[in-house]
Amino acid sequence: MKPVFKGLAWGAIGAALGVGLLVLLRLFFGLPGWKLEPAVVMAYLFGLSGWLLGVGVWDYWARGWLGLPNRPYTTTGWRRYFDFDTDHKVIGIQYGVLLVALFLIAGLLAMFMRYELMQPGRDLLNSAQYNRLMSLHGTTMIFVAVATIMGAFGNYLVPIMVGADDMAYPRLNALSFWFVPPVALLLVGAALAGGFDTGWTGYPPLAAVTKLGALFYNLAFLTIGFSSILGAINIITTVITMRAPGLSWGRLPVFVWSIIGTAILSLLFTQFIGLAMLMIILDRVAGFGFFDPARGGNPVLYQHVFWFYSHPAVYVMILPGFGIALEVISHFARKPLFAYRWAVAGMMGVVVLSAVVWAHHMFVAGMSEKLLIPFMVTTELISVPTGLVFLSALGTIWRGKLNLKTPMLFALAVIFNFLIGGITGVFLSDVPVDMHLQDTYFVVAHFHYTIVGGGIFGLFAGIYYWFPKITGRMYNERLGKIHFWWMFIAFNLTFLPMFWLGIHGMNRRIADYVPELGGLNRWVSLAAFVLGASFILFVYNMVRSWVRGEKAAANPWGARTLEWLIPSPPPLHNFPSVPEVVDDPYGYGVPGTVHARLSPSPSPASD
Amino acid sequence: MRRDIVVVTLLWALFTLVGEGIAFTVDFLPVQGAEEAAIIDEAFRLLLVLSIPVAALVLAFLLYSLFRFRASDGELQDGPPVRNHPAVARLWVLGSLVLAVYIVFNPGLKGIRELEANRTADLVIQIEGVQWHWNVRYPQYDLSYEWALQIAMPVDTRVKFEITSQDVIHSVWIPAFRTKMDAVPGKVTTLYVTPTQVGTYEADPNFRVQCAELCGTGHPLMRMTVRVLEPEAFQEWLEAAKVQAAMAGGGMSGMSGMGEEMGGMGEGSTEMESDAGH
Ligand SMILES: [Cu+2]
Repeated sequence: MKPVFKGLAWGAIGAALGVGLLVLLRLFFGLPGWKLEPAVVMAYLFGLSGWLLGVGVWDYWARGWLGLPNRPYTTTGWRRYFDFDTDHKVIGIQYGVLLVALFLIAGLLAMFMRYELMQPGRDLLNSAQYNRLMSLHGTTMIFVAVATIMGAFGNYLVPIMVGADDMAYPRLNALSFWFVPPVALLLVGAALAGGFDTGWTGYPPLAAVTKLGALFYNLAFLTIGFSSILGAINIITTVITMRAPGLSWGRLPVFVWSIIGTAILSLLFTQFIGLAMLMIILDRVAGFGFFDPARGGNPVLYQHVFWFYSHPAVYVMILPGFGIALEVISHFARKPLFAYRWAVAGMMGVVVLSAVVWAHHMFVAGMSEKLLIPFMVTTELISVPTGLVFLSALGTIWRGKLNLKTPMLFALAVIFNFLIGGITGVFLSDVPVDMHLQDTYFVVAHFHYTIVGGGIFGLFAGIYYWFPKITGRMYNERLGKIHFWWMFIAFNLTFLPMFWLGIHGMNRRIADYVPELGGLNRWVSLAAFVLGASFILFVYNMVRSWVRGEKAAANPWGARTLEWLIPSPPPLHNFPSVPEVVDDPYGYGVPGTVHARLSPSPSPASD
Repeated sequence: MRRDIVVVTLLWALFTLVGEGIAFTVDFLPVQGAEEAAIIDEAFRLLLVLSIPVAALVLAFLLYSLFRFRASDGELQDGPPVRNHPAVARLWVLGSLVLAVYIVFNPGLKGIRELEANRTADLVIQIEGVQWHWNVRYPQYDLSYEWALQIAMPVDTRVKFEITSQDVIHSVWIPAFRTKMDAVPGKVTTLYVTPTQVGTYEADPNFRVQCAELCGTGHPLMRMTVRVLEPEAFQEWLEAAKVQAAMAGGGMSGMSGMGEEMGGMGEGSTEMESDAGH
């Protein structure tokens, strides 16, 4: 715990320094010393540096620079998770636990939102409170969806699945994690500073004139953006340079491919959200007026820059879900992944096309009419590569021997949910239909079906699938299955009626609606409460199993990828020796085949 | 193997039939109040009709496999080592590509062409969004009022909305017309509609202007009644509105409270229901 407290202390010192510097500078230029918003920005930037310093992120570089000897990492046991640690497995768990906690908190916020929406008129929250709650829910969930699978499973599993002992840049990896706690603090801080009411999209001019909390939102997005880019660099480098001998690209597990696609998107596009946030901050703090028409700016420009990142980001949230689903489906159908190359090509096709679809969020934003058709075309074409994921999933389960454990159920649910999410996306990509449905609950339902139904269900598939590997203990299968059916049914009961609500005149981001929609909203709210309650069971199962579940074997599923060849949980450097990959990991049905051998001796080490 | 294919094909046909049956019998859409609504509803229905077989195909395979190919508990047995059927994969890609290209043309391009076909208008209504109310002007009739609670237009008349904003982005959405356009500060956006059916908010809540872009605290209550009237009734409405606007000094509503009490909700909807214009 010490590094965390040290980080907080240094963060506070940094913040004070930043404010002090600002006051001095302002006085120097003859301005009044104190101005709140610039002070917040300076306090944060210096505080963030202080935090990273205190946590020990800079130790290695700084001590080397100063000619001091480096301190060895001596923390052991659970304390490692509260310390600066470069082991990718520790970082993966740090990411996973922190982000799942954020997921649960943001989910709780949604419960309050649904309580307010249970009937027309004002119940629990007034409109201002509702907007703040909704914005915090959306933003937190977006961070969770963007970072969890890549941060947790990407970190923990990609090095093992490519046969490496760690990431290519372990310190950079730790740095990218330690950016995340400040993001969580910023979100809490935003709530304390009066919140922000701009939704997760933060459109100006509203975002440039609204409450102080919006500034915290901008800084949080900026920070998690740094983290994403660093993480992406690391993943890409690791997979390119550290694959075990024999692990050619054509033998790479499909999950690793999905993470590669995700990392490419994060690396290429995150800078644009950084840019959008920076421009808003400069608008607010320094009066640049990028998006203020009164100062020659253009508010629609923000939407282009924002979606130029945020549409690819949708695939950052979903591709890993596809990856986990396909990986799990192959190992639990006990059949080779059907049309592996086509599925990989599909995911890469999504990566490429996702760069040129952003303006479909803006069909009614008042942009040039010339842009309507091109963006409709590209958006509708993206269904083709996406369809290959379905081909692969269905081809794999066809005539398989389906082992319907909890991870498999979640993986199949990804296919089901995304079917609905994908098809309704086609409706929204159609310009005429979108004129009606844009900014309605149809959109709310659609993106919950894709991001939660695809990405988050994929995350849960992954949590159950790798739980034994990561914790060394089995979760309770019965509770897992109950959780699945509970969550799956409640999820569909919650979000399916929202399509109807959207079509029938319920726009999004409102605390109140026309009375005629009261009945269905009550239903949606009740279903949402049931959905929310399902996570109590999940948390109970996870915590209880982690503490006193039965010990897990090295390979409880009889799966074939590299992580199942080593003990659960994996030892510090993962492999006793460099594994030798001899085939792809999907050789089911052919006796005697293995994915890899661990020791130089040719004895198959699986099972 | 062959039996599986036959059964799954039958299942696909069954799901498709049931789905299309629902699509053709259940009325999914709200009141159709304008020519634009007819175009958009046709696009919506076509997409629904086209997507049902796709969904049915995936569902049929998914559900059939779930029951037919589930392993008995507790034994790990491998399935057949089938890695691909290139013909199936090619067919899949070809099928989805054809479908994607088709929907680009119909309803996509077709709908856009129809919506953009007629850029003339007999009536111009200017709407300006302000946090958190609407200001309305009828430039042809020299009528303008602020804090508007309603707009009116004659049925079967081509109307052009000129939309802008004073502060942040708002959006003019009329669900009965299925059309929506953002109100962006610093520019004027346009929306063309031809109302085809007489209607009011009181009769159907989809006859309303609803702000559809989050604009701050008062966003949910940025609504106006839309009155589509017979031409004579519209003329009467105009006269009454002019008198009212003159009396209120530009503020025709005569109803205060919208916007001031936005922290507290609830009053707005009752105001909506009250007959403000007459
Ligand atoms: Cu508004």
